[in-house]
Amino acid sequence: MLKIFYLIILLSSIMFSQQIDFQSPENIKLFADFLFCDNDYLRAIDEYEKYLVAVDDDLVQFKITIAYSSMNDCENAINKLGLIKKTSPFYEQSKIELLKSLYLQNIDSVFYAVAETLINSKSLYANNAYRLKNTALLLSKTELPEKESFLIPFEVEEKKTISDFYNLKKNPPYKSEALAGVLSAIIPGSGKIYTKDYGDGITAFLLTGLFTYLAYTNFEHDHPTRAWIFAALGAGFYVGNIYGSVASAQIFNAKVNFEFNEGVKLFLEDKKYFTPNYDFCK
Amino acid sequence: MISASKRILLFIFGSLTSVFAQSTLEQQFKFANQLFTHEKYFDAITELKRLQFFDIDNKFSFQSNYLIGKSYKAGAKFDEAVNYFTRAEMNSENDDDYFTSKIFNARTNILRRTTKQAEKILNELLNDPRFISKEKEINYWIGWNYIFSDEWEKAFEVFNENRLDTTLAELCKTVDDEMYSVNFAKYCSYLIPGLGQFYTGEYVSGTLSLGWNILFGYLTINAFIEDRVFDGIIIGNFLWLRFYSGNIQNAEKFAIQKNLQISNKALDYLQYQYKGEKP
Amino acid sequence: MIINKKYLLSILFIYQVAIYSQTDWVRWEKSDLTYQLKNNYLEREYDLSIESVSDVIVKPVINAYWFFVSDVDGANCPFQPSCSSFLVQSIKETNVFQGVVMFFDRFTRDTNIFGRHEHYPRYGKNHFYDPVSLYTLEEENINYIPAKTYVNE
Repeated sequence: MLKIFYLIILLSSIMFSQQIDFQSPENIKLFADFLFCDNDYLRAIDEYEKYLVAVDDDLVQFKITIAYSSMNDCENAINKLGLIKKTSPFYEQSKIELLKSLYLQNIDSVFYAVAETLINSKSLYANNAYRLKNTALLLSKTELPEKESFLIPFEVEEKKTISDFYNLKKNPPYKSEALAGVLSAIIPGSGKIYTKDYGDGITAFLLTGLFTYLAYTNFEHDHPTRAWIFAALGAGFYVGNIYGSVASAQIFNAKVNFEFNEGVKLFLEDKKYFTPNYDFCK
Repeated sequence: MISASKRILLFIFGSLTSVFAQSTLEQQFKFANQLFTHEKYFDAITELKRLQFFDIDNKFSFQSNYLIGKSYKAGAKFDEAVNYFTRAEMNSENDDDYFTSKIFNARTNILRRTTKQAEKILNELLNDPRFISKEKEINYWIGWNYIFSDEWEKAFEVFNENRLDTTLAELCKTVDDEMYSVNFAKYCSYLIPGLGQFYTGEYVSGTLSLGWNILFGYLTINAFIEDRVFDGIIIGNFLWLRFYSGNIQNAEKFAIQKNLQISNKALDYLQYQYKGEKP
Repeated sequence: MIINKKYLLSILFIYQVAIYSQTDWVRWEKSDLTYQLKNNYLEREYDLSIESVSDVIVKPVINAYWFFVSDVDGANCPFQPSCSSFLVQSIKETNVFQGVVMFFDRFTRDTNIFGRHEHYPRYGKNHFYDPVSLYTLEEENINYIPAKTYVNE
């Protein structure tokens, strides 16, 4: 009887002390999945790497790349995506993910090369790559293809937005630097009003007008020294305003570019860079 | 007889399950605690999160949340620390645990300089009948909270009235005595340009202000005396007034900056040389 | 129109990302945050270094102006860099003539008190950011920063 007791104690102590083995591969994976879904990606990656030492798992390998890319660590994401084997069920996904990371890393030459091969492949995500490439083209300095062919890969509901972007890119609402300068030369301040710096335009008009008037009256009342000082200041404001109007047009155009680029970037973010939805965390 | 021994066997079987399960959790907690004492806070948090994940019965909820909070606090990640101290507070099983998590929440808020929040928490504790015996400790942190709100006089009062810590009380008193009065500096300069600057020890700037104000004041008044009203208005408005208001702004600025230096010297002492408990 | 809606979306998006555990996306160590209070006043940086011919005349004049006038008068330039620093920097980056012309333009902007909040990014607590690089007429130097953004150099 006593022997049986001892046996049970011994057995159960072995069995149950292992009941929560924190470092068993299954438990590591369970914990890592929890961290992954809690957006605690760096810790999740550490745990997944530990798990991979013991078990070869395609899904986990792929999830590591997604974790890196969720933390905007494109460099590591690209490295890890390169390790996904052709036999992995996530091979196709890894290609479009790679394209996304290359885009975010701004490695243009590689990005377009990879995009082309992916578009011409029989991949499930060939069209996604096509859409990502064309949207990226909107942000580059290269000439855009014809509108009809440019819009081909996009879904119906995307076509309107993309078409708007296309038109903006072809005909940006720039202000002419030369016109701004000429306008200000004719009527001080009008160049700045043309570039929509209304306050600055009116101020320039008033300042130039004020000093011209002061110079004029002082000349009339025979105060030549004062008159020349005021005349010089007036001339300074006049020339400064012509210069400033040209600069203002440049800044206006920089703003147009900036807002266009931000718009396209937000569109891309909104579309998750045309990568598929995985639903790893339901 | 047989059934009885079977029952005993079952009982042992059952109790062992829970005992050993708990002991592995216990071990895990000890492991995390070790990482914490070795200042490996990031890893400590990982292990504590692992503990929480497998601690289905929430046996370690308070301890793990509390230690995660302390780890984040040590890494100066105050937002997260406050979050986890609050979780610890919600999972506390007795008054002591509740009190400790509240106090740590307040201390983190003091460091984060969200002193209003800290004040609210500490006052809640002070008015809680369960913690009458801990009034001294609460007041100690109320004092520190005043230090971090830059209210040294109030801090002195708290430390002094409750006979908490003579070093701190003395320090707060000295700082409060050394502080310049910003309003006094300003009003001095209203009366005599440059006087506020002299009060704060900025003699060069004070002299310059005084000089400009005398010059333009004279020119303005002179213009009016000589009936050149237009000149008077122009000089008075664009020159005298400009240097007069600049003089007041400077007096205020110097007083504030000098006070900042005094505060920072004391804060530096508190951070690196003061040996008592700090937030 | 497209852009405005998307801005709203982006703000929501950033907010959502921010509330998740971003703190732990990089390994961190123990850290002792300083108890010290921050000085919110911009300190005057006197600079008498001579790097070009024009500096021989411009720098002493500007520094004397800072010392005797600017630091003791009450008119605080709302911009960063201040008008006088803007003059020094623009002369340094272009030439005396263009620098002076740029200064007149800056002075016009300084005089106009309307619409600043909608026009300039913010610098520190009380200043608008208006750097020289926007006005040298070299387009590649223009780094557009949207209004109301906080700039920390």
